[in-house]
Amino acid sequence: MRRFVKDNALSLFFLTAFVLSLVGQSFAGHAAANERQIAEGGTAVSWVEYVTSAEFTVDVAENWQSEYLQFLLFILATVYLVQRGSPESKEPGKEGGESDADQQVGRHAEPDSPPWARNGGLRQGLYGNSLGLAMGGIFLLSWLAQSVTGTASYNADQLAQLQDPVSWGEYVVSADFWNRTLQNWQSEFLAVLSMVALSIYLRQRGSPESKPVGAPHHATGVEG
Amino acid sequence: MSMKIKSMLVAAAALTACLTGCASAEDAPAEDAARQFYAAVQGRDGERACALLAPEAAESLRTGSETCAAAVVGLDLPGGDILGVQVWGDEAQVRMTRDTVFLHRFPKGWLVRGAGCEPRGDLPYDCEVKT
Repeated sequence: MRRFVKDNALSLFFLTAFVLSLVGQSFAGHAAANERQIAEGGTAVSWVEYVTSAEFTVDVAENWQSEYLQFLLFILATVYLVQRGSPESKEPGKEGGESDADQQVGRHAEPDSPPWARNGGLRQGLYGNSLGLAMGGIFLLSWLAQSVTGTASYNADQLAQLQDPVSWGEYVVSADFWNRTLQNWQSEFLAVLSMVALSIYLRQRGSPESKPVGAPHHATGVEG
Repeated sequence: MSMKIKSMLVAAAALTACLTGCASAEDAPAEDAARQFYAAVQGRDGERACALLAPEAAESLRTGSETCAAAVVGLDLPGGDILGVQVWGDEAQVRMTRDTVFLHRFPKGWLVRGAGCEPRGDLPYDCEVKT
């Protein structure tokens, strides 16, 4: 048990942080929603009603989609684009999908390589892109969930303000949908830019996300 | 397709349908409330009509010595046949041939918070009765 925790501490730390944050968001969001309901002449709702409401789910989904988009683009962009001096980048000249030998696939696979890396054809193609496909799939599902729950949340607000509700098609081209979407995207892209650029010159001793403290600024793709 | 995947797809479709409006099952009580409100108005039962109004809407009709019951029957609200109902969360809109009624779901049920409403393009409806 202790060994399991030690070997998976990073995942367990973020899983715990995620659950605590989501629960915290549900309580804070519930309190805020009830304050607004009462101020508008409505009635308070229970915590269970709130966490199953479109209002809560759209807030969750809009953040999820942007995080998964961030990682999807980071994974795909770093295949083809480099940043000299950044530990987040490959060395210049290695842009692209790289050779089978570099990627240890097909006849270059090691004895303990994943089976699908040893196979050729579709399975190797799928497995070779499985991280991007998973991130992309979760991004699209989260974005779809944002659009569906966003429509419901927006329409409840519209009716509360004595205005007509809109269809899903009208909502996905609305200012509300794109405001929610782009305000999340901009912060994710800024965070990635900061990570790529600041890690050229700044160090975090012991972190694999940083170059070793003594590594030169021009060293690329070196993780400490 | 396995049963597990099939049942997951059905659940996802049901969730999507519910989140996009939770159609019919949720519509009926809101529609009934609008129908009962108009039945009371047309039967000139002001007390009954006011009991079906949201508290703030009923309050807004009380002016000087005039009671809500007297005011609501004096408004000559148009009503008509019900054309459609939309329920989103705790809010509902019932479209009628000559009126659009807005309702809110309270613990005791749906109550009218807007009636005698005229559309104004992108602006909120202009309602004779509103919260």
